[in-house]
Amino acid sequence: MPPRLRCPAACGFSSAISPSRIPLRSAVLLWSSAPKAPTPAGRYASSQAASPNLLGLPDGYVPPTKPPTARPSDTRKAQLLRTYTSLLRSTPLILLFQHNNLTAVEWAAVRRELNVALSKVPVSSGDGDDVAPNIHLGVIRTRIFDVALKLVEFYDPSTVAPTETTTARGAKTTVVYNHDLSKSAFDAVKAVTSGETPIPESSAYAQLAPLLVGPVGILTFPSVSPAHLAAALSILSPSPPAFPAPTRRKSPGYYDPIAQSGLQKLMLIGGRVEGKVFDVDGVKWVGGIEGGLEGLRAQLVAMLQSAGLGLTVALEGAGKSLWLTMESRRSVLEEAEKGPAEEAPAAETSTADAPAEGEKKE
Amino acid sequence: MITRFITEVTTRFNPFSVRAKSARLFLAFLPADARSGGMKITTKLLPRTSAEPSALHVKFKDGKEMNLDVENMGIKSVVEEVDRHSRILQKQADLDA
Repeated sequence: MPPRLRCPAACGFSSAISPSRIPLRSAVLLWSSAPKAPTPAGRYASSQAASPNLLGLPDGYVPPTKPPTARPSDTRKAQLLRTYTSLLRSTPLILLFQHNNLTAVEWAAVRRELNVALSKVPVSSGDGDDVAPNIHLGVIRTRIFDVALKLVEFYDPSTVAPTETTTARGAKTTVVYNHDLSKSAFDAVKAVTSGETPIPESSAYAQLAPLLVGPVGILTFPSVSPAHLAAALSILSPSPPAFPAPTRRKSPGYYDPIAQSGLQKLMLIGGRVEGKVFDVDGVKWVGGIEGGLEGLRAQLVAMLQSAGLGLTVALEGAGKSLWLTMESRRSVLEEAEKGPAEEAPAAETSTADAPAEGEKKE
Repeated sequence: MITRFITEVTTRFNPFSVRAKSARLFLAFLPADARSGGMKITTKLLPRTSAEPSALHVKFKDGKEMNLDVENMGIKSVVEEVDRHSRILQKQADLDA
């Protein structure tokens, strides 16, 4: 946890000890040659140790480990924001829960049961075996999480223009300050919050924002693993027949009254899978994918194959039916051609015979 | 919020709706030992596409039932409504004791 006390050293050495920012009395004490008199407050203790004469840092020097920030970077909020942005960028599968006054022992029981269920999931070759230990259930600060969501969605660090700074040796260089606590990130979020930048309805932020109300906890998965998701759902939000709760015989700890009362107070409200927002049914659909991503690929291949087969049959069918029609027509025509030809000689003979007969009669 | 005299809470909401806030916050206001203390809490989550309004139904020990319009009420007014009846019950309980 970062220190909660702010000290001027955090803003950069040179700005902290620049004479303009120090009151006259302190400045006299600070720049006096004899360091015998202690500074009036502990506030300048560190500044005195880092006097410019000792360090020899030029004006406008910004330490590379302490880039300038829009708001104090050493507060708990600021570090929490950094945690959430990195979480949102790196975690493909997040489930959101509402937790209604769970006690500490209930949280412990819920986590224990969750870990037991996750450790029982058979490890597939593709996922590696580090999925289960990296699935975490935790409580979030919703307002900061909201800001982090905005930052991830509406702030593009690649568009930030470089700034000119001085190195420790006094040379001029250009550096891009586009981290999540930078001025540009702050401005981007502020523009969204104030309504300057419109929030599109289809954005993940617009869809997730109504969920971030009241006490919210998140379950984070390091990869989209439907098997692990199904195991977690069967514990945290059981819904037979797809995600049945474990039986009393297999995991008696699940039916422990403390665990049960904790689970009753946890309520699945939605999820974010690969940047897309899903409701409870959607999350259950993801959990129900057989065989994970491989299974989904196999399904797709099968579908495409059957579609291809259908297409060839359909295309072939048109030609075939045309051929059949033409063929039948040809046979009909042939027959028609052949028929009169065969009948005609017979008629001729009859007509030829008739007068003959007539003649005979005459 | 006085929750001693509530025996049953039934809620229904779509968490993706902005108007589900009051119903969700009401659930968060119930104490940690509400269920073990005999309160019956049922929650129904509506799917995301549903336009059904959120609902909150509260039953008290004396049999009074309250159907609160959480769609258009803030959590403060909901708590106020519930507490108005709870205070009457509390007064009676204090006089009986």
